[in-house]
Amino acid sequence: MKKILIIEDDDFLLGLESKKINSSGYEVIFAQTGEDAMNKILEKDISIILLDLLLPNYDGFEILKKIRETEATKSIPVIIFSNLAEVKDRDKALALGATEVLIKSNFSLEEVIEHINKLVK
Amino acid sequence: MDDIQKIKDENEKLKMMNENKSNLIFISAHQIRTSLSALKWILKMFSNKELGDINSEQKDYIEKAISSNERIISIVNNLLSLNHSDETCLTLNLKQVNFPNILEKIIFEFSGETKNKNINIVYNKAETLTPEIKCDEDMIIVVLQNLIENAIKYSFNDTTVTISLTNNSNSELEMSVHNQGIGIKDEDKMKIFDKFYRAKNAIEKDTNGSGFGLFSTKSIIEKHNGKIWFESSKEAGTTFFITLPIS
Repeated sequence: MKKILIIEDDDFLLGLESKKINSSGYEVIFAQTGEDAMNKILEKDISIILLDLLLPNYDGFEILKKIRETEATKSIPVIIFSNLAEVKDRDKALALGATEVLIKSNFSLEEVIEHINKLVK
Repeated sequence: MDDIQKIKDENEKLKMMNENKSNLIFISAHQIRTSLSALKWILKMFSNKELGDINSEQKDYIEKAISSNERIISIVNNLLSLNHSDETCLTLNLKQVNFPNILEKIIFEFSGETKNKNINIVYNKAETLTPEIKCDEDMIIVVLQNLIENAIKYSFNDTTVTISLTNNSNSELEMSVHNQGIGIKDEDKMKIFDKFYRAKNAIEKDTNGSGFGLFSTKSIIEKHNGKIWFESSKEAGTTFFITLPIS
């Protein structure tokens, strides 16, 4: 079973995302802070990362930068999944190496899973 | 000298107030979107019967709740764009963008809606076109979404929506969106861009509109020194036109 790391600080959204993604055939690993996220990416064999942008301590941009700078993690697909919806946020994320940027309120979880499936295959 | 310093200080204060206002809106919008996302996903789970069986009446109500939630998401997006277009805002986030690229993406995003109503979208792009304009991309996306969504929403089933893009004689970018739909009645024509105004036949066709879309669309276009107008009749449907300066 392929592993997906969800980096999300909102417990409620994390619960919904995990349930749906898990039922679509992925093993869900989660992290709620930047430090925890980096440890888990390095420890586990992660196939894809779903990354929120507004997080405590280190924000999603910093985590993304760190992922792309680290040899062992730099080629893992990262989907930014956030409600920061301005073009400048999207451009910044893409410039830092995000694979895709999806706005939470504009996507159903089914659509998110379609994106995940395409990137993992 | 004191007077100049006083004006400078006042200016700084205003800038700070404006920044605080923008931050407040930014945080509120993020929180609202987060709640709406959760609601969207939960309702979808109910609708898909992932949380247990539901009867047809329950399904019907859940679909209405989904539609209502989508409407609120759309209002939040519109309000945010309008906040950016507020006169008190310091500057627009202007940059050089390729207009047809944005337009084509938005047309693609509506392919699900057009399929549901069996509407054919015809897209005519002038062969010689200066495609680059300087604009706030976020706002222009809202304009295009509003115009195309309205064209589809108020079309009759099995008809065509025609979107044309050209440079006009004033060397502006001119786009028109034509539908074969319910049309705008004469008594509504003067008020169609008013905030929260909705024509009676529009309410009958779609109860979920906010009456905010065309108001924000007009505000955004005018903020970009562009123009917006329409032609409409019961027989021919409606065409909305917008122009935007090239540079």
